[in-house]
Amino acid sequence: MSETTIIDQPIGGLMEGITDALNATAVATLSAGEPSWLQERRAEAWSAYERTPMPTTRLEEWRYTNLRKLLKLDRMTFEAVAPSDAASGTPFDLASAPSALRDAMEADREASGHVVEVDGRVVHVDLDAELAAKGVVLTSLRRAVAEHADLLKTHLATDALPASRGKFQALNAALWTDGIFLHVPRGVRLELPVRVTRYLTEAVSGSALFNRTLILADPASQVSFVDESLSVEFTAPTLFSSAVEVMARDGAQVQYVSLQRMGHGVFHLQQQRTLAGRDSTLDTLNVSLGASVARTDLNAQLLGPGANSDMLGLCFGEEGQHFDHNTSQDHVAPHAKSDLLYKGALDGNARSVFRGIIKVHKGAQQTDAYQTNRNLLLSERARADSLPNLEIEADDVKCSHGATVGQLDLDHLFYLMSRGLSRTQAERLVVLGFLGEVLSRLPLGGVVEKVTRIIEERLQQG
Amino acid sequence: MPQNDTIQDLGLDEYKYHFITEDEPVFRSGRGLNEKVVREISAQKGEPEWMLQSRLKALEIYNAKPMPTWGGDLSKLEEVLDQIYFYVRPQEKMERSWDDVPVNIKETFERLGIPEAEQKVLAGVGAQYESEMVYHSLKKEWDDKGVIFDSIEDGLRNHPELFREYFGKVIPAADNKFSAMNAAVWSGGSFVYIPKGVELDTPLQAYFRVNQEQMGQFERTLIIADEGSKAHYIEGCTAPVYSTESFHSGVIEIIVKPGAHFRYTTIQNWSTNMYNLVTQRAMVHENATMEWLDGNLGSKLTMKYPSCVLVGEGAHGSILSIAYSGDGQHQDTGGKVIHAAPNTTSSIISKSISKGTGRSTYRGLCQVHEGAVNAKSNVECDALLINETSRTDTYPYIEIEEKRSNIGHEATVSKVGDEQLFYLMSRGMSEEEAMALIVRGFIEPIAKLLPLEYAVELNRLIELEMEGSVG
Repeated sequence: MSETTIIDQPIGGLMEGITDALNATAVATLSAGEPSWLQERRAEAWSAYERTPMPTTRLEEWRYTNLRKLLKLDRMTFEAVAPSDAASGTPFDLASAPSALRDAMEADREASGHVVEVDGRVVHVDLDAELAAKGVVLTSLRRAVAEHADLLKTHLATDALPASRGKFQALNAALWTDGIFLHVPRGVRLELPVRVTRYLTEAVSGSALFNRTLILADPASQVSFVDESLSVEFTAPTLFSSAVEVMARDGAQVQYVSLQRMGHGVFHLQQQRTLAGRDSTLDTLNVSLGASVARTDLNAQLLGPGANSDMLGLCFGEEGQHFDHNTSQDHVAPHAKSDLLYKGALDGNARSVFRGIIKVHKGAQQTDAYQTNRNLLLSERARADSLPNLEIEADDVKCSHGATVGQLDLDHLFYLMSRGLSRTQAERLVVLGFLGEVLSRLPLGGVVEKVTRIIEERLQQG
Repeated sequence: MPQNDTIQDLGLDEYKYHFITEDEPVFRSGRGLNEKVVREISAQKGEPEWMLQSRLKALEIYNAKPMPTWGGDLSKLEEVLDQIYFYVRPQEKMERSWDDVPVNIKETFERLGIPEAEQKVLAGVGAQYESEMVYHSLKKEWDDKGVIFDSIEDGLRNHPELFREYFGKVIPAADNKFSAMNAAVWSGGSFVYIPKGVELDTPLQAYFRVNQEQMGQFERTLIIADEGSKAHYIEGCTAPVYSTESFHSGVIEIIVKPGAHFRYTTIQNWSTNMYNLVTQRAMVHENATMEWLDGNLGSKLTMKYPSCVLVGEGAHGSILSIAYSGDGQHQDTGGKVIHAAPNTTSSIISKSISKGTGRSTYRGLCQVHEGAVNAKSNVECDALLINETSRTDTYPYIEIEEKRSNIGHEATVSKVGDEQLFYLMSRGMSEEEAMALIVRGFIEPIAKLLPLEYAVELNRLIELEMEGSVG
């Protein structure tokens, strides 16, 4: 490769990303009154953040997403107030909630439990009484610090997303203000999903928000978690950082779905890591529809023999949107399977980046690992970059990957038009069919319909 | 069907090109790379001033560029380079007849079968020994048609305008650290010009031999295939095995003019103490075709990504790459295609075999620029792993700026299937024969594009390398 393809020089020294709002004082303010283990964890995370240089496009993982241009941390505010102090007052009243939030929740009546977050703070939690009696815990992270200290001390920002994993993992571990904790005890099965609705209002315009989710599924348990985020349109750049840790113990079955439909002006930064134990199933679906910049890092660890992870993703981009999906499938244990399908349809000057890696570690024999990335360019100005990588250090494996970039299949269009559809109608149908393949692989109640409806609406506007 | 010998019956379990020729070079530079060495090389060649200046500028670029941190392990390379002789001149001048080549050098090439091949199947032959071309000859019928097949030095001397028009234009010194190094110290290589409409029916061949220990070879090849011409160029490379590392860094620039068809084949079989870092790129014009056939079997580490820049409408680029990595070897190879014009097409097929602690990496780029409408590209990578200590990686980069294009990439990794082995063994083959047959089937798509003699040679090499791979 020619070195001339490298665009950027690293900037500054070790103090990058430390601002008037994001600094050690903020960490101290935030953790005042917290148990000492958490204070220490935040302080260590902050120090890791300080030590880690800001990623540049010189790093393979950030090759096509230039943070110098896209993320202006120094212009952002940060409110270092513990939500336990701020939000314990008035109970959440759905009737007075913004209509977009209400609509999103109305569509999700059927659930094992709900969590509502407004401006990064949990304002409402409910859980089926029967499940609560069986020991299921669904609560705000802040409350969990007090009520489930042992579990958090062991699992929060340790096994899955420790600060050592990177600059933004460290920043989130240092500055998270709230989030969600879900614990499903051994053998308990949740028939209906847990539904989370997050909403950002104009009040947090121009600020940086840090949120964490910790999901612990004990052996032989089962749960689906649908995590939806929405916001108003922002004029000032606003950061929403979400760190998601999911652990499926032996034989557990877990589905995690992120449905991101944030408004303009949002930099949506998701870090997800899934740990799949022996004979467990741990599937993920990332739907990226909104935000100006959406970056998702997903690392799936196949840690026990017989573990299985389906990893699905789709994005639909329009004018001014930049999506970057960075996935990895880490086969540590033998006899495990992972299957990834990410699809993107891009209109306007939207741009998508897919970088995925299958890594088969030494000794992970009998691995089955697949990776597919398909992109549809709907406009002259759209752009797609795809880097599907393989690193294989065991010989008895089945691995493959594929990537395609292309335009709408003209044969498909002509067929539909010959059946009386207009060109626009035919195009919409083909795009829906293209993205629908992803949804059909994880047919979770409500999600397929909702995503299909949103994409349909957006296709009609365009 | 293969001959019924088992792999062991062949009795050739060593690198068969390991033999050292005793000789005294006419001139040898000091170790390491510095301005003095660059000036010495230029003076030895009696070059025009502009070329010396171009070399010195390239040296500056080389010094300014950091060592790459991607690809293979280059952490020891600086140390190796400090010990390398950058220029070794084996004889006074290049010869046109084998009879005039010094006996020991001639014997070297006879052992490699070059003069024999020349008579049988080649339109022309160049042979490089250490830093210089020691022999260059072209059959008279092609000479009469205006074909130029010369050492790069004679190209500069005898065709200065043509040379200067194209030299360093496809691959500028600043392209990467090793193209800068080559631009500073290049020596040897071929200068080829195929006139308009001339079609060569047999290949031209250049053979590269490194004999001395701690030697660096920096051949530079410039090929211009004029409109509507057609030719096939083959390079082969070998060296004896030493306990210290040697270094080879070539730059190959090819201009394929409208309607021309050019194929460049490499059978790289350096000894396993060789660092082989090569930049090769073709500029492909309207309705022209460029084919790279890249076979990498030898070397300690190879980093090489033949490229096609499709600048003319309707241009086609094809890269066929086969890599074999045995114990301690790392082949970091692949290809690049850049679609910069409408209706261009390309295909990359890469096959690799990793055995023992060998590691094969496919690294590739497929880029479609805005406006390159109807570009089509297809990339396929297959990797075969023989042992549990073997490793393979695939790193494709796909960068698409044009909606009206169609780009695909696929890769699979597999082990030689037990079922395949058992099937063949149930038909009476030994396990080793079966393994050799499966591997031959795996590389077949590449072998069949080679002239017969080379296909046989490639098969035999693979068979040799597969020895003892079972159980």
